[in-house]
Amino acid sequence: MVRAASALLLVLFLAGWEVYCRVAGVSALVVPLPSAVLRTLWDGLAGGYLLPHLWVTTAEMAMGLAVGCTVGFLAGVLLAEVPVLRRLFYPYILASQVVPKLALGPLFIVWFGFGMTSTVVITALICFFPLLENTMTGLQQVDPNKRELFRMLRATRLQTLLRLKIPSGLPVILAGLRVAVVLALVGAVVGEFIGGRQGLGASIIAAQGMMDSTMMFALFIVITVLGMIVYQAAAGLERWLLRRPWKG
Amino acid sequence: MSFVSIEQAGYGVPSGATILDRIDWTIEEGEFHALVGRSGCGKTTLLKLVAGLLAPSTGTVRIQGEPVRGPGAQVGFVFQAPTLLDWRTVLDNLLLPVSLTRRPQPADRRKAEELLDLVGLSGLEGRYPSQLSGGQQSRVALARALVTEPPLLLLDEPFAALDAITREELQNDLLKLCARHRTTVLFVTHDIAEAVYLADRVAVMEGGRLRHALPVPLARPRGRDVRYSPRFNALCLELRRVMDGADSGVALERAS
Repeated sequence: MVRAASALLLVLFLAGWEVYCRVAGVSALVVPLPSAVLRTLWDGLAGGYLLPHLWVTTAEMAMGLAVGCTVGFLAGVLLAEVPVLRRLFYPYILASQVVPKLALGPLFIVWFGFGMTSTVVITALICFFPLLENTMTGLQQVDPNKRELFRMLRATRLQTLLRLKIPSGLPVILAGLRVAVVLALVGAVVGEFIGGRQGLGASIIAAQGMMDSTMMFALFIVITVLGMIVYQAAAGLERWLLRRPWKG
Repeated sequence: MSFVSIEQAGYGVPSGATILDRIDWTIEEGEFHALVGRSGCGKTTLLKLVAGLLAPSTGTVRIQGEPVRGPGAQVGFVFQAPTLLDWRTVLDNLLLPVSLTRRPQPADRRKAEELLDLVGLSGLEGRYPSQLSGGQQSRVALARALVTEPPLLLLDEPFAALDAITREELQNDLLKLCARHRTTVLFVTHDIAEAVYLADRVAVMEGGRLRHALPVPLARPRGRDVRYSPRFNALCLELRRVMDGADSGVALERAS
């Protein structure tokens, strides 16, 4: 019921937008007609213009996410397990996160050139921190009684990590992954603004250059849908990994 | 040689406070001893010294003549909370002590199922802890501590959070399980009746010291009716007097 109302809200909004733009004669350069946006989107998808760009952005996002999350998770485990390393490195890791990574984009272009590599690096850097932070928190939140149980059972450090700390910290770690997925899309698109030749972000810049607001709106839709798909995928993975029957 | 001998064991924290003050105590093989006292009297600390989870600052704790230098395979421990792994089934939780040392064999599985049967949980091995009641979780924790058949079992107020009827059932389960292999037991509780019902010998702790020891000459097996017998109540009253007396002793020290 509420779902239907929610969909109806979108239809009403688009209809109002369409009618207003037509009646008031708003320039397509400022705000394009929804019908024109949908037509451009359809042509772009059916004609194949958008598909390579969609593919590039998805690939950058996936690679950045994979690298950033893997490194972030491993670093989180290391810093949680070795307090000396934590005290040694954490202030610098924190400082590195305060630096806006997108501002490093131009530097990465110098280092890695235009194209996918720079964008993947930016995306990975953005995904790194939520995983690091949540892994550290998750591993340190283990119930002290369970830790004592593992001590009593003479579990090795590795056994305690793999069979107690990581499973019990998993909900927190996966919440970090959910944040990272959203940030990865932002990282990939904005990375392309700065140094991309291809991809949805680069296409927005190209469309802007041609004053093609309709195409820009069509690209927004593609990016939004892509973001919702990967978020749902991450949430689905989370549900699957944490599937546990509850009381009742 | 006593099975467990605690010799002049003391425990202090770096701030200088003494938690345990020169404790001497022995447990013979197959005996069931209970340690009663109010919260903060050091009874859990003493139990952890015996378990090897803490090292005594003075004195020694010996199990079968060997000084305790850390958690050992011959000791089972039941914590205040069931401390089950929520992401593992009941059977996996039961087999945890085994699976941390080697791959569980079909024989281990059979033993685990037999233990589940003894605590009245047969058929629930595939459940997750969140699907069990508090009493069932405590039963799994008890069975887990016994799955490796340790000769010594230590329990830290394991039934304190349960309702009275469930607690009595679990006390009977515990006696039944310990009788199977003549397990030596040290049981910490603040419940006088529980201590008298379960133990052969009850020690009263107060302010980090052992104040009193009371043998419990009630015949075994003990059933429900024992709890309402005059002998039982007399023993409970005696322990209660000791605890109150020790308490007023402390009050006098403070006043002077």
